Amino acid sequence: MVSLTINGKVVRAEEGEYLLAVIRRMGIDVPALCDHAAVEPYGGCRLCMVEITKESWDGWKNYVTACLYPAEQDLIVNTHSEKVIELRTSLLDLFLARNPETPLIQKLAADHGLTKTSFEVVPEPNDCILCGICTRVCDEMGFAAISMVNRGHGREVAPPLNEAPPDCVGCLACAQACPTNYIKFEDIGTTRKIWGREFELLTCEKTGRPTITREFAAFLSKHRDIPEEYFKVNDEAHRDELASTMGRITRWSVQEETK
Amino acid sequence: MRIESEKQLRDYRKKLADADKKLTKKIMVCHGPGCLASGAEKVSEEFEKQLKRKKITGVTVGSIKKTGCHSFCEKSPLVAIEPAQILYTRVKVKDVAEIIEKSIKGDEIIERLVYHDPHSNDAIPKYPDIPFYKHQTRIALRNLGKINACDIDDYIRVGGYEAAAKALLKMTPEGVIDEVTKANLRGRGGGGFPAGRKWKSCRAVESDVRYVVCNGDEGDPGAFMDRAIMEGDPHTVLEGMIIAAFAVGAKDGYIYVREEYPLAVVNLQKAIEQAEAIGLLGDNILGTDFSLHLHINRGAGAFVCGESSALMLSVAGNVGEPRAKYIRSVVKGLWDKPTVLNNVETYANVPMIIANGADWFTSVGAPKNAGTKAFSLVGKVRHTGLIEVPMGTPLRTIIYDIGGGILKDRPFKAVQTGGPSGGCLAEQHLDLSVDFDTLTKHGSMMGSGGMIVMDDRTCMVDVAKYFLSFLVSESCGKCIPCREGLYQLHKLAIAISEGRAQESDIEKMEHLSEMVVTGSLCGLGKSGPNPFLSTIANFRDEYLTHIRDHKCSAGVCKELIKYEIDAEKCDGCMACIAACAFNAISGKKTKPHVIDQELCTKCGACVAACTREAIMVL
Amino acid sequence: MNSRFVVKPELCIGCRTCELACSFAHAKNGRPGRSRIFVLGGGFKDLFVPVTCLQCEEAACAKSCLVNAITRNPETGAMDLDHDKCVRCMACIAACPFGCSLFDEQQELVIKCDLCGGDPACAKFCPTKALEYKPVTVRALRPAI
Repeated sequence: MVSLTINGKVVRAEEGEYLLAVIRRMGIDVPALCDHAAVEPYGGCRLCMVEITKESWDGWKNYVTACLYPAEQDLIVNTHSEKVIELRTSLLDLFLARNPETPLIQKLAADHGLTKTSFEVVPEPNDCILCGICTRVCDEMGFAAISMVNRGHGREVAPPLNEAPPDCVGCLACAQACPTNYIKFEDIGTTRKIWGREFELLTCEKTGRPTITREFAAFLSKHRDIPEEYFKVNDEAHRDELASTMGRITRWSVQEETK
Repeated sequence: MRIESEKQLRDYRKKLADADKKLTKKIMVCHGPGCLASGAEKVSEEFEKQLKRKKITGVTVGSIKKTGCHSFCEKSPLVAIEPAQILYTRVKVKDVAEIIEKSIKGDEIIERLVYHDPHSNDAIPKYPDIPFYKHQTRIALRNLGKINACDIDDYIRVGGYEAAAKALLKMTPEGVIDEVTKANLRGRGGGGFPAGRKWKSCRAVESDVRYVVCNGDEGDPGAFMDRAIMEGDPHTVLEGMIIAAFAVGAKDGYIYVREEYPLAVVNLQKAIEQAEAIGLLGDNILGTDFSLHLHINRGAGAFVCGESSALMLSVAGNVGEPRAKYIRSVVKGLWDKPTVLNNVETYANVPMIIANGADWFTSVGAPKNAGTKAFSLVGKVRHTGLIEVPMGTPLRTIIYDIGGGILKDRPFKAVQTGGPSGGCLAEQHLDLSVDFDTLTKHGSMMGSGGMIVMDDRTCMVDVAKYFLSFLVSESCGKCIPCREGLYQLHKLAIAISEGRAQESDIEKMEHLSEMVVTGSLCGLGKSGPNPFLSTIANFRDEYLTHIRDHKCSAGVCKELIKYEIDAEKCDGCMACIAACAFNAISGKKTKPHVIDQELCTKCGACVAACTREAIMVL
Repeated sequence: MNSRFVVKPELCIGCRTCELACSFAHAKNGRPGRSRIFVLGGGFKDLFVPVTCLQCEEAACAKSCLVNAITRNPETGAMDLDHDKCVRCMACIAACPFGCSLFDEQQELVIKCDLCGGDPACAKFCPTKALEYKPVTVRALRPAI
């Protein structure tokens, strides 16, 4: 354990624990757009920047992303110093130039007193904030079906060669984890469309309702040891099955007892 | 044959030296990038052909050495005749016969081929007397132009692998680190971090595996020092890496070579094979327990991969994107193992430090900035080329003595050091000494060693715009400040160069720059606004003229200039009319011509075509 | 940790108090209305069975989770789902053979029984003791004969 000071309060933290976790535990609100618990910290959005110093640093201050900076003994952290807020505001100004119509960005910017970007809005703005959560989640799950393509300002999320991604299983994790709902998908009947690829959804033998894609189920059976028959019915039918099994056991044990 | 002891190495070196002494004349044909581009290969072939035909005592085909960059690129292709130290410049195939007749068979000097002083027009036949060479001190580039690039025997002959043998057989790893620390060798890739300290911290981390990595991803526009070393003296890189690996305890090393340097890859590969074949690399080097395997990785054309953490990810097969370095790569680097990463030039210095000692090294250069630094001197300077000077050499010496001054003796305006994310220094900085600390203090940086000289026809807004556009397209795009911030800076710079900006935009750019510097993830982003920051610091007036007066004093920014013909100077030769692709110039023969401003695209073709300098840029 | 749900369907009167208790107990995550326990017909007339997560030893939900969002809580013994980690791929819902990982459409969250941190509200409110949460020995876990 180490002890450090955050916004004037002395707190204890595990050595090596990232500052953002400690800050959040204290209930301090620091914006972070590229942070997702399922994946390693990234340091892309820069909004969680905080000011750090130490008594021994002779007044020198550094600005670091809390999501990646490990807690250290005697560290003095300020999450809302004037400079930090100015930094965050400028960052959001840049975000607004790229994602002017994105509610999440508009909200955060408004919290920092910005309603309109002071820069030139990019041509063809969209809702993608390039936080990389989708691609990192996809990597983490073991598919790596989509990734960041192009460099610099032309960066975007895309499947390989912008074709239907062969490694995608249609689990929708990318779309579900996307903080701005930029990733679009469509479920019509038993067909799912995402990233330009069509998937067939398995249907419950009893209720006829769609569950997950055939590819995803096959993946889980093969790599995660889930018996294929589990995927034949949906959760509702599974519960009914469990209820009637327990019912049969109850009926049988009550009969045994009365004998 | 494997060399397994110091004595064997010494004996082998003596044998090679004796054989070399039998050659009375040696013909050094520079095979550096500049000379190859100007036809050096044909010249050396011609020498070979003619030498085969003519029998000259003491001179064989083996006397021709295809050397690495001899460095006076301006005058390429270069042929040096050793041991007389005669340098022939701009040698053509048709000159070969004459050189053989006069300078190889005889001892005559062909005056029309030697260097002439641009002012006095005196012939200077011996290269050590040429000002370009006279002010240089060569440590990292010591073998360039002196040995066959791809010949380990030639390298051993001039003392190669002596330092490796000394380190491995007579020193302890700690001893090597101490020596390098004492020599105060600072990272030549631009950061200037002491190599000794880096090695020491890497060795101190407990780990079963450690790596040494060589950064040969030289991406700065106009820089070619590392290229010259990798292509022209690959063994010195290997030797430096062997010593580093021995010091930190690494068994594997990676050389990351820029995609655009295929010859460097070929030569390094050859060098590795040659060194492995005689037991100077691979398992049990020089008969000791120490083994090192070196591997070559080719980049894929991303500038950002020159950044150490991105480079390591790229070596490991991932997308080259920087990561936060709050945990340093000496602790957690390549494949999360402790890793020492140094630049090509840093490694090239290491053998000399070990061989000659730290005291010798610190005797060269400036306080806290020991040794030398290689630069590629380019731009509007008379003598472009590869140079190496002691740290602390004044900019003026580099530009006026070595570089021979500004082309056409125009006024000097600025010098850009440190690559795209470096900065521009102005006339008042000409007497600054070139070292890590001084350059950084004045808003530029050493960088890997690009040095671009600019004259009064260079617009500083345009320079900032160019480097920003380079950085915008080379930013990896991972973090917002660099991706969006530099993009917006570039947009604003364009607005200024097109006369659409307001004065408040400068303030906005300064504010944004400060944010990008503080907020960016890696060094590329943190130094990204430098092209703007250093030009605004030294050339604020020029920015203001663009904004207030809508004028580009250097005559570069197309939106703010127009071409007009000086009727007094124009003799009506019609050359400009022929050159204009847009039929914007009209006029009759012998009568002054006129440019139609509506049709003119300001391409400048007329200016180039005019023989009387009658076309004015307003 | 040694506590288990002890279910006696013969005592269940189908009043659904457990469902109500569950949805209020988890109202901190949103609105009440979606319970993690279900009172279902047991296949015989007038036989109701309260069904909820069994916190399996080798849980299919955890195995199917590709981001390790479902882990055993060492204090309560429950298979807890970390909502921050969950990417809502629905693998656990499809994989659970008892249908006890659920999707809450309103909150757009995957939910499952978390034993209310060791003191399940459902059992506490059961008026007939058809559902109890109490320490049991391994022998008692088998059907009484």
